[in-house]
Parts: sequence; C-alpha cells; structure tokens
Amino acid sequence: MPLARAAKYFVVRTLLLAAFGLPALLSAAAGQSPPSHATIELIADLTPPAGNPRLQAGLLFHLDPGWHIYWQNAGDSGEPPKITWNLPAGFIAGPIEWPAPKRLGSGSIIDYGYEDQVLLMAPIRAPMSFDYEGRPNVQFVADVKYVVCREICIPGKAHLALALPLTNDAQAREWHEEFEQARKEIPKLAPASWKISARAAQNNLVLSIAGAPQTKSATFFPQAASIIENSAPQVLATDRAGIHLTLKVSDQAAGPPTRLKGVVVLDGSLAYQIAAPVVSK
Amino acid sequence: MKRYFATILGFAFLLAALLSPAWAVRIGDKAPDFTATDTNGQSHKLSEYAGKFVVLEWHNRGCPYTQKHYTSGNMERLQREWTAKGVIWLTVISSAPGKQGYVTAADENSYVKEMKAAPTAVLLDPTGAVGHLYDAKTTPQMIIINPQGVMIYDGAIDDKATTDTADISGAKNYVQQALEEATSGKAVSVASTRPYGCSVKYPD
Repeated sequence: MPLARAAKYFVVRTLLLAAFGLPALLSAAAGQSPPSHATIELIADLTPPAGNPRLQAGLLFHLDPGWHIYWQNAGDSGEPPKITWNLPAGFIAGPIEWPAPKRLGSGSIIDYGYEDQVLLMAPIRAPMSFDYEGRPNVQFVADVKYVVCREICIPGKAHLALALPLTNDAQAREWHEEFEQARKEIPKLAPASWKISARAAQNNLVLSIAGAPQTKSATFFPQAASIIENSAPQVLATDRAGIHLTLKVSDQAAGPPTRLKGVVVLDGSLAYQIAAPVVSK
Repeated sequence: MKRYFATILGFAFLLAALLSPAWAVRIGDKAPDFTATDTNGQSHKLSEYAGKFVVLEWHNRGCPYTQKHYTSGNMERLQREWTAKGVIWLTVISSAPGKQGYVTAADENSYVKEMKAAPTAVLLDPTGAVGHLYDAKTTPQMIIINPQGVMIYDGAIDDKATTDTADISGAKNYVQQALEEATSGKAVSVASTRPYGCSVKYPD
C-alpha cells in the first residue's frame, strides 16, 4: 500500500486506556483500587520505517520500579503477555516483535523479561481495498493478559481500543519516538560475516561465533523453554577467531537440542538473533 | 596478555560452574532422601515410603498459579483421587519466613480444611532444603516418585501455563496422566515439562 497515503491516514485520533489487575476488580466495591504495577497503552506508529509496507501497532507497558513482565520465553517462572487482536475486516496483525530481554531473578531461578518500560510492537497489514483518502473511522482492539511480578506475581488484564484517524499530531510524534526507540532494541540479524556453530559436549553446549568482535560479556537467551539451564553460569572464552559461550543443557531436556535458536547479547547491549544446528560429539 | 587473562578468567568461571551444585535430580535418577516436619509436628522421611508412589507438590497459596488449581478444586480433586489409591501426597511449602507463602503450621491446617485439600501431609520447608534438593523452581511444581524410589515425573501440573481457571478443563493434566500410566505398569509418556508458576520464595 502506498506509504504516504498510509502515513497520512494512520494518524491516531483517540486512545482509550484501561488496564487493571484482578485485585483491582475484586476490591472495586471497597472504593479503592490497589496498585496493579503496570499500565498499558495501545499505540500506533504514524510513520513506519521506509520500505516497511505495514503499519505498526504496539502495547506500551509502563512498570512500577522493580516489577517486571516476561519475554516470549519467560525462563524458569512466569509467563509472557498474550495479546488477542480484534481488528476491522481484512486487517491482519502479525506476531509480536520482542526487544532483547534482561536476565531477571537470582540464584536457582532465572527469568527473562523487562523492567521499567517496554513496547511490544506488532505489524498490522491493512487490506488492499482500504480507502485511505476517505479517512473512514476504524478501531483496533487489543485484549492483553499478563502477569507482572516482583516478589509476588499479579495477573492482569487490559482491554484497549485505538480509534483512527488521529488529529493530535504531537501525540503521534511522541508515539513515533517510542517506536523508534523500541526498534533499536530488537535483536538484529547476525552479520553475514559471522560463522555461528554449536556443539554438545556431555551436559554442555558450546556456542561459537567466529568473526564476533572481542567482547567482555556475552549472554544467550534461548527462544524455547527447556533448552538450557537458565540459572547456570554462561562461561565466555575468547580467542583470536571469536567467542565461545558454554551453556548448560536443561535438566528438563532428554538430551542436547538439535538446534540452538535465540538471542545473544554482547557487552550488555548489542543484541543479535542467532540460530545454529547443534553438533553432538 | 589480554587473551591470557581472558582464558584464565574463563577457566576460573568454568571451575566455579563445575563446583556449584548444578547437577539436579533428573528423570530416572533415584529421588534423594530427605526428612521434613509436617504441620502436625510429625517427621516424614521419603525413604519410609519405599514401595509406594509419592507425589511432591510445591505450594504457595498467594501465587495466582497455585490459586488457579486450588480455587477451582483441581488440586484437591487430584489429591483425593490418588491418596484414595494409596499414593502418598506431600505438599511442600519452601517459602522463607517473611516471604509470600510462608505459613505457620496452624494457619496451614486451617487452609487445608477450608480448601478441602487432601494431601497425606503438608511439609514445612522454610529453609528451602527440600526445595533445593529437588531444584524446585515454581509453585506449583509436581514431582512423582515411583515405589522403587525413582523420579518418574518432574514439571508442570498441566499443559496450559496460565492463571486462568477456565483453562483447566481443556488442559492435559500431566500428573493424572503420569500416575495413570505408572500405576498400570506403563512407561510415563511425558516425564519432564517446564513447570509453570511463580518462583519458589527461597531465603535470600
């Protein structure tokens, strides 16, 4: 669809914000809403990146200090947020684009997720027949189920609606900035010059990246559960060729995986998607 | 020089990793013996249950995942069905004092009555010794030990990792399935799953 027309059209008009945890629902009668520790906004990007044929919508989570939500693989405990879209006929939402997570927790229980604020973006494709010039009103609805945790976990639900088109340009610009920031946090594809391999040795997996820059720290986040022991230390060794990260195979797995897929974060902030077949010796 | 230090550091961490208690009990291993006290002051030793199936159920009444299975009566139903068939059901509370799920014996006995729960006993594990022995990570987490003392199931109660009671009826209950298979002499088809729930509240 023509980008300029889409950009002119998808200016968000109003926003309905409704996010409350179950404790709030239960004590509504008491006249006081206990803190839910997370508020969520449904936002959209006015100007998707050049060449991107799809509009992006997103769930912007604001979390109280110390509280967290989970990545697509939550790790040892917790569960990722689930989003159910209700879109006008012909609109299709794609899967969530997950920013690089943080390691959370301590000791024998390690989780993967986000603190403070995170924008979970989803591409939305409009039907070819959609008439941008006519500026018809459409509404996107997202139902979000999640748990937000710190020392305890609180389940939450939010029913959010976004009505288009928008007339508030300042709001649209502010939201565009949020999307731009979140795009920087999406793990990049590994450079073509890297040679990524993995081998299983007894109860360990060694992830090797030849051509990776010298790095002081590396952390691997598996996309699937029960692949690595999340709480085991990840041991980094470097040599002239690149880096080697030793991971422990999960106790929940019958044996090493055939493929290692996930995110590797170098020096705390450089995040890459990687996938490699696992060679067993 | 830098590379030399990096290698030394690497080996130091590797040594630390190897020395840390990273070898948890795996399916097919002998379940490690332990002694713990229940909410009636009785001492239980796992090995005294040799010859019986034993279920270990990690519990924290404040955790929404535990609440899902208790407010719905799902856990209580499992407890009743299987203790009636001679399975020893031990609910384990590994929450440290001051943390969510920590309870006094009297308080827990009231809860068991109120929830119409039917475990053989509720073991109080405030130091987390039993939890760490089995590397329990979540509440709920379910472990099944066969009459030969071998661990035959470790993981989630069912296959719907949510806090929603509506998900119980459509879920595959791994505990039910494993006990039905094992008590009829069959191999446990799904022996290991990622347990879902809140983290066990061990001491810091």
